[in-house]
Amino acid sequence: MAIVVNLDVMMAKRKMSLNELSEKVDITLSNLSILKTGKAKAVRFSTLNSICRVLECQPGDILEFQEDDG
Amino acid sequence: MKTNQILKSMKVVSWIIFIGICIKAGAILVSFIVSLFVNQEAAKDLFLGLNLSNIYSFDPSYYNAFVVLILVLLAVQAFIFFMVIKLLSKFDEQFPFSQPISDLISKIGLVSLFTGFVALIGTGFSKWLKSQSVSFNFDWSAEEFLLMAGVIFIISLIYKRGVEIQSENELTI
Repeated sequence: MAIVVNLDVMMAKRKMSLNELSEKVDITLSNLSILKTGKAKAVRFSTLNSICRVLECQPGDILEFQEDDG
Repeated sequence: MKTNQILKSMKVVSWIIFIGICIKAGAILVSFIVSLFVNQEAAKDLFLGLNLSNIYSFDPSYYNAFVVLILVLLAVQAFIFFMVIKLLSKFDEQFPFSQPISDLISKIGLVSLFTGFVALIGTGFSKWLKSQSVSFNFDWSAEEFLLMAGVIFIISLIYKRGVEIQSENELTI
C-alpha cells in the first residue's frame, strides 16, 4: 500500500496517547490501532474529520503517499 | 429472533434427513450383503420395496455394480447434509460472510456436482439395463442434483464477493 499513516507522529507531537485519542474521536482502540499500524484498507471522511479536529492538523499531516518499490 | 428459529429448524431438519439417509444406506448395504451371501430373495426388497431382483437374475455383476452405485450416491448425499449441518452450526447472523462458510458452500457445490455425475452414470446404466428388457424402478434424480450444483455454485460466487466486501468493510475505519 502506497499510503502511509503517520498518526503516531502526530500523536507524539500533540503528546496524546492512543487511549486519549480513542476517547476523544469516539473510535475504538482496536480500530485506531488498525489505522496506526497501516492495516486499514480505507478511512471514512468522518473519521479523518474527527482525528484532524482533535489533533489540530491537516489530513496531509496524517496521510502520506510513498511510491511502492519495484 | 425469527431468523434464529428458522436456522434452528433447518438444522433439526438437516439432522433428520442426514440420519434418514444413513439409515437407508445402512439398510441397503445389509440387504445387499444378505442377498449376496445368504438369500438371493433379499434383492426383492432392499429397502422399502426397492426391488432389484430382475437385475440380479439378468447378471449378478450388474446387480453388484448397480447397488454399489446407489450406495455411493447415498454416501455422498449424506456427506452433503453433514456439511449443511456444519454450515448451519457455524453460521453467525452478525457476521454472515466469513471464509469458513464460503469454503463450506463451495465444497457443497462441488460435492453436489459430483453427486449429479454419479446420478447421471446411474441413469445411463439404468437406461441400458432397461433396453436389455430388465424391469425395475429406481429414480436417480440426476437433473435435480445438477441443477442444485449450478445454483449453489452461483451462490458460492456471490458469497466469496460478500466475504471480500465484509473484510474490506471491517478494515474501513
